[in-house]
Amino acid sequence: MNTLNTSFEWTNRRLFFSPQRDASLDWMDAFAQGPCVLERDTYLRIYFSCRPKPIDGRYVSHSGYVDVAKEDFSILRVSERPILELGARGTFDEFGVYPFSAIEVGDEVHAYYGGWTRTVSVPFNVNIGKAISRDGGRTFERVGPGPILSYTLDEPFILSGPKIRRFHDTWVLFYIAGREWIMDGERPEPVYKIRLATSKDGVTWVKAGRDLIESVLPNEAQASPDVFYEEGRYHMFFCYRDATDYRKNPERTYRIGYASSPDFLHWTRDDDVMKFSRTESGFDDEMVAYPHTFTLNGKRYLLYLGNEVGREGFGIAERKEGAR
Amino acid sequence: MKWKKLGHIFDPAPYGFFGEYSSFAQSPQALVFEDFVRIYFSTREPDGDMFKSHVRYVDMTRDFDIIDVSTDEIIPLGKRGTFDEHGIFPFHVTRTRDGLYGYTSGWSRRDSVAVETGIGLSVSRDEGETFERLGDGPVLSASIEEPFLVGDPFVVTREQYYMYYIYGTTWKEGPDGVQERTYKIALATSEDGQTFKRHGRIVSDTIADESQALPTVFEADGRYHMIFCFRDTFGFRTDPLRGYRLGYAYSENLLDWTRDDAALGFERSSDGWDADMECYPHVFEWGGRHYLLYNGNEFGRHGFGVAILEDV
Repeated sequence: MNTLNTSFEWTNRRLFFSPQRDASLDWMDAFAQGPCVLERDTYLRIYFSCRPKPIDGRYVSHSGYVDVAKEDFSILRVSERPILELGARGTFDEFGVYPFSAIEVGDEVHAYYGGWTRTVSVPFNVNIGKAISRDGGRTFERVGPGPILSYTLDEPFILSGPKIRRFHDTWVLFYIAGREWIMDGERPEPVYKIRLATSKDGVTWVKAGRDLIESVLPNEAQASPDVFYEEGRYHMFFCYRDATDYRKNPERTYRIGYASSPDFLHWTRDDDVMKFSRTESGFDDEMVAYPHTFTLNGKRYLLYLGNEVGREGFGIAERKEGAR
Repeated sequence: MKWKKLGHIFDPAPYGFFGEYSSFAQSPQALVFEDFVRIYFSTREPDGDMFKSHVRYVDMTRDFDIIDVSTDEIIPLGKRGTFDEHGIFPFHVTRTRDGLYGYTSGWSRRDSVAVETGIGLSVSRDEGETFERLGDGPVLSASIEEPFLVGDPFVVTREQYYMYYIYGTTWKEGPDGVQERTYKIALATSEDGQTFKRHGRIVSDTIADESQALPTVFEADGRYHMIFCFRDTFGFRTDPLRGYRLGYAYSENLLDWTRDDAALGFERSSDGWDADMECYPHVFEWGGRHYLLYNGNEFGRHGFGVAILEDV
């Protein structure tokens, strides 16, 4: 059932930024994951996370940006170096900074990011860190060596995928929290759910302590809660997948879902509102994942990842005129 | 202060906790009943070339004669990927207004360093025979200024909960290439024993790169007393001068602490099971007397002993 008299239909979809095609940096060998737009005067700065070639089969993730002109989305420049160094030995973000969500706060840019560590019984754990830029979003310094959100009784591991928003006087951090590791043959795969925390000052966070989005699959994993306000209500694009056999199987891998809310706390899921699925052939013919939406000159755009969760880069689509 | 050593009271060797292997009874912690005391400890299960620590207990008489030793699981280790899946050590049991709580120091293995830890919470509804965790995650773990190795909880319940614990400050590579950790004692307070407000460090250092561990707090003679153990960051496993010894601090209000190791009055033994190391202290009150449980050489490989407070 469609609870809204609207739908989100998209056109002119294409691969937008690809490390392999558009950059030649060792630390940006492949992947452009978790795109996040920060609007500047004449251009858009799009943060994303990428990887150098793996060592002994294992990756680290760095975060960087690409600046594109507002008028024609042409690429102006790519960050020369990672915008935040990896964490010190033994810290939560020693092996990756991914994904990266930035917001302007006065003269500063504040970023919330997933920090990756390597574990033994399962491949990794993630926690959410915070970093601040005082040079317009070119480089960042972490606010401390540890994470800003702690694991708790009902959020035991994998706090990741932060998306920072400010609605009225409240900071809202949407994120995912791990629930369970499920064995797919020999390989442990994580199940995680979309949650939120709120803050008055961006320093002290209060967790809501519940799942925001009802699951539709058994052991469904949810990610990339991308929330915006439009026409009197809050909208969330997110992605979801089955727990196992999801990496290449189009029937079980990431799809994009939708939910709406009157208050950003209570959500009604209605995936049919979001009209966006994989293509017949191309970089996104297996999956569409990790949505991020923004508007420019009154027009809404969708950034997203394709196959292998953004190995070739991220794509863009435009909202169809007159579709609402 | 003056402590009189009553000797070595528990050796894990005869009990076959893990078949052939029966070593380590670490961090003894007491739960006092009317006519016996239940002393929880962590013992090690071999796991490849590593170990997993599990909680067991021994019930003892007032003369510290053994009544019974637990053989069943008191609290299982955590699920795959959780903070306490590779061990629980120490295990701190305390009666609170909210129930008989068991705070855990949970261990999980890491790749670039050996471990990470967090503090979990479990509750017993059978007088301490078994404990059930309140959730798969911890109640206290890494934060912005306390980046890793949150552990060693000890809780004092007054008008609120006061949790004394440790957190890691650095991992540093030693002369032998091993990554070694440094940690410090800190305080957090809580209204419900589950959600904590942090207050930061509370015990000053006396040596460079000092690691402080396992605070235990008690009230005597109108003042609060804390005993803990401390060591150098490097060389502490084999060099008695760098290894764990006991430290001491006092406080009037449970918040502000003054360190004064010389006032502890606990002399190192010249030979025997605790001559090279003293660690993991735990003080409890029973029948108007204060007792100090502690581990000796090799971090408690051969069990623990007890001392009695003779003069505050």
